[in-house]
Amino acid sequence: MKKVTNRAAAVMILLALILVGMGVYIFRLVRDGGDWASFYANDSVYTNGSLNSGSITDRNDVVLATASEGGISFADSSAVRTACLHVVGDINGNIGTGALSAFRSELVNYSFLTGTTTGGGTVKLSIDAELNVTAYNALNGQKGTVLIYNYETGQILCVVSSPSYDPEYGFDSSDSAYDGVYINRGLSATYVPGSVFKLVTMAAAIENISDIWSQTFTCTGSTTIGGQTVTCSGTHGTQTVEQALANSCNVAFAEISVQLGGDTIAEYAEKYGLTSSHSINGEITTAAGSVTSAQGDDNSTAWEGIGQYEDLVNPYALLRLVGAIANGGTVTEPSLLYGKSAGSTKLMDSATASTLSEMMSYNVEYHYGSGSYPGLEMHAKTGTAEVGDGTSHAWFAGFITNSDAPLAFVVMVENGGGGYSVASPIANTVLQQAVFG
Amino acid sequence: MDLLRLIFGETGPWLASLSRFILPLVCVAIVVRCIRSMLRERYEPETWAYLYLQGEIMVPLRHWECILGRAKSVDGQLDDPSVEKLHACLIRDAAGGWTVYNLGRGDTYVNGEPVTAGGAALADADVLTLGEVSARFVDLTEEERAALLKYRHAPGRRVRPGATMLLLTVLQILLVLQQLVYNEDAGTSVAMAFGILCAAQWVYFCVLRASGQTGFEPETLGFFLTTIGLSVAASSVPDASSMIKQVIFILAGIVLFLILGLWIRDLKRTKSLNMVAAGASIVLLAINLIFAQVTYGAQNWITIGGFSIQPSEFVKVLYIYASAATLERLFVNKNLIFYIGFSAVCVGAMALMGDFGAALVFFVTFLVISFMRSGSFATLFLAIGGAALAIMVVLSARPYVLARFQTWGHAWEDIYDTGYQQVRAMSAAASGGLFGQGSGNGWLVDVTAGDTDMVFGVVCEELGLITGLCCVISILALAGFVVKNASAGRSSYFVIAAAASVTVMMSQMALNVFGSMDILPFTGVTFPFVSRGGSSLLSCWMLLAFIKGCDTRSRGSFAVKRPEKFSGGAGVEEPEDEDYDGYDEYGPEGHANRRRAGRGRPYREDNR
Repeated sequence: MKKVTNRAAAVMILLALILVGMGVYIFRLVRDGGDWASFYANDSVYTNGSLNSGSITDRNDVVLATASEGGISFADSSAVRTACLHVVGDINGNIGTGALSAFRSELVNYSFLTGTTTGGGTVKLSIDAELNVTAYNALNGQKGTVLIYNYETGQILCVVSSPSYDPEYGFDSSDSAYDGVYINRGLSATYVPGSVFKLVTMAAAIENISDIWSQTFTCTGSTTIGGQTVTCSGTHGTQTVEQALANSCNVAFAEISVQLGGDTIAEYAEKYGLTSSHSINGEITTAAGSVTSAQGDDNSTAWEGIGQYEDLVNPYALLRLVGAIANGGTVTEPSLLYGKSAGSTKLMDSATASTLSEMMSYNVEYHYGSGSYPGLEMHAKTGTAEVGDGTSHAWFAGFITNSDAPLAFVVMVENGGGGYSVASPIANTVLQQAVFG
Repeated sequence: MDLLRLIFGETGPWLASLSRFILPLVCVAIVVRCIRSMLRERYEPETWAYLYLQGEIMVPLRHWECILGRAKSVDGQLDDPSVEKLHACLIRDAAGGWTVYNLGRGDTYVNGEPVTAGGAALADADVLTLGEVSARFVDLTEEERAALLKYRHAPGRRVRPGATMLLLTVLQILLVLQQLVYNEDAGTSVAMAFGILCAAQWVYFCVLRASGQTGFEPETLGFFLTTIGLSVAASSVPDASSMIKQVIFILAGIVLFLILGLWIRDLKRTKSLNMVAAGASIVLLAINLIFAQVTYGAQNWITIGGFSIQPSEFVKVLYIYASAATLERLFVNKNLIFYIGFSAVCVGAMALMGDFGAALVFFVTFLVISFMRSGSFATLFLAIGGAALAIMVVLSARPYVLARFQTWGHAWEDIYDTGYQQVRAMSAAASGGLFGQGSGNGWLVDVTAGDTDMVFGVVCEELGLITGLCCVISILALAGFVVKNASAGRSSYFVIAAAASVTVMMSQMALNVFGSMDILPFTGVTFPFVSRGGSSLLSCWMLLAFIKGCDTRSRGSFAVKRPEKFSGGAGVEEPEDEDYDGYDEYGPEGHANRRRAGRGRPYREDNR
């Protein structure tokens, strides 16, 4: 008997396995319960597939969206509804990066303790709805994006993507003006960066070319590299590297790129996070850019360092880069949730960051003119990225160091023309509003 | 709602939301009380006879089936090179007669006469010789056994079973309240169903308590799980005819539990139907294969007079009935071979039906039973290897089973097709939090198979994670109870049957919970007692009878005969509760003294 009774303990093996399994279940429930509970089929928080509780506000408690049994209603003002569409999201979840989708688990107010039994929660976003309106109006119907965030606290103040529409009324899908309307151009798209990419090439040069400061570059409007021509936007004569960056001289940066080699440039783009996708508050995934090394082909290497060739950059990734330069090399990760920080990441040496910062300030002083940005301590770089159909994306990226407004920004206008002529005024308009109200 | 107003007045909705937080605590109290009672009661073994070796060493025989031999793991160790490792087997029958069987190649003699293949009777004062070792066999008289019994503890004094029953009633009232408030379709029939269940459990308790029983933990857990199951049924289909059917199944389950429990009191009677049970399993499986309808991919439903029956559920009970065996049969190889063949037929039939989950439950049960029967890991590895092969065949022949395996762990990647049910179960379970949305306030129950294969999700959604865990722990507690009882088991038949029963329950529960939560492949198996459905409920109550059958605590189980009644009530009456009020009063020391004094005769025997 003793043999048989002892063997009954075999049952305990099964019991132990079940305990382990329950441990796994509870672990997963704690980790993923919010995602599970905010699944669209959960009828206790969704009515006909649409959230039935919770609301979204901006940093000033302006209500951007309210979900109830009757459906989702948006902000009172049509301008706010339109300007905040991409950051808030639409009813049907077509805008995947919108807060309605991304922060579902906060909206259904899930907690491990109470599940979804307490009714909907409020998600307070870090954005300023009025600033979004200003930015949307400044884009003036052109396709493009404006991103602004506080590089010290990480709080994102402005996320605008154009074209947009008023979610209360919808849009005419046959109108080509609304092509790609569901894409948040700031977070979910990649573009040829053009000259804003020279910041990356410049950083690589600072760290890899020891005599970069004693070199001079002579621009006659074009040069021949690798048997083919590299053209420049102007004829800049003999310049120092600072002047070359301010002039955004293609001839100078073609030479620097060849000195660096295609691999080094691609490596820096990767190191600065331009080729990877990023996560905002752990819920929103941004699009990843790509920079391919031209490997030994000098002409292509030249274009690679100038931000053409096969370079593609996501505006949000660029925002992180300029934020890092502004913040001494370490990026305070942007956060869309009011008052919530998202950690920080070191992107570059503080010495490199401060050198780049000075050069970006010199760009304004020497070339763009500080009078274009009254009251703003502007550090920036323009970009006019040739798309191949004769048009160009207009870029303006940088930051201001006003002590009460440490803001980094990226403005991009799709097929908009010149960075200085098109994107820079938009940045100024929005920043004036952000700093001086 | 009229009924609600009638019972609770206008405070109903308010009481219901309050009750959502009380209900899980009541569940915890019920389960904790049962566990405390099962763990803290003393499990003294019974003593049936003694062996005296060389007149000095006394070996108590504490089971009805004892092995003598040189090995350490036997019940009476005779450490002499002339004795085989497993030499002889002593078996007691219900009438008190002892038989000795020779197990190995060694010689065994009773009073100098060699023991033949059919065994030899053994009486008080006989001399038993194994190899070169002799021992005197001393049987206990009824009076002596009654004297010993006096100091064995009856359960139920530390944790009063009546109070636990009362808590169960509170749970049922709270569930009725929530159903009336949260479930628009629930009405009188739901309240009536809970009322009948409540009445049934009190009638059961009162009748057995009056007949002297004090151990009620397993059936209290059974009633608890059945209550949760009734809540699921009420949320799912609260109309009158469905509720009546469910109640009929519950009552039938309790009756079958009682019948089987009373039947297995007599081991000889039980054993005599071993082969009948084996035959019945195969006939049922054959009927199933020929007549059953295909539902959800598995061919296992037969409809008789409006009741849908799953024969495979009853095969579980018959399989255990036929597979458990008494000790003297365990050592005969042809019995083991017959058993393995029988198991292969059962598992194979399940696989043919496409009921992959049931086949898996059978297979795990087969592993546990065969380990308990043979103790051989080699057999097990062989079986597992064979099963792996069989699984490959099943997977290749049944594409929908293969699809479920492929989805395993990736439910969220296929929310429209193969992961459809699991993601909903997880979503609903998470949204219940710790305390739940309230009975009748969930939606998962309306998803296909929500009230059966995903019932853990329904319980977590409506009654909360705490209650869900209480259900899981209830089943685990039964398993722990069986393991604890095994050491004092009378016959290996009961120990094996009880261990197999908890194995069936645990593996079903594991497949149900982990399958729906995407931790194991989703195979569509019911949660014991809780999943809605008749056949499964009936089989669970019958399995519970096997669990009661291994509970040898004094007055612990109606399925175990009380020793003093073996010779027609001639023994000494058992004392009332008040006569021996637990050992706290005396302290462990005082208690031990009393026990020693109670042994009386064996010490006098020494002076003989």
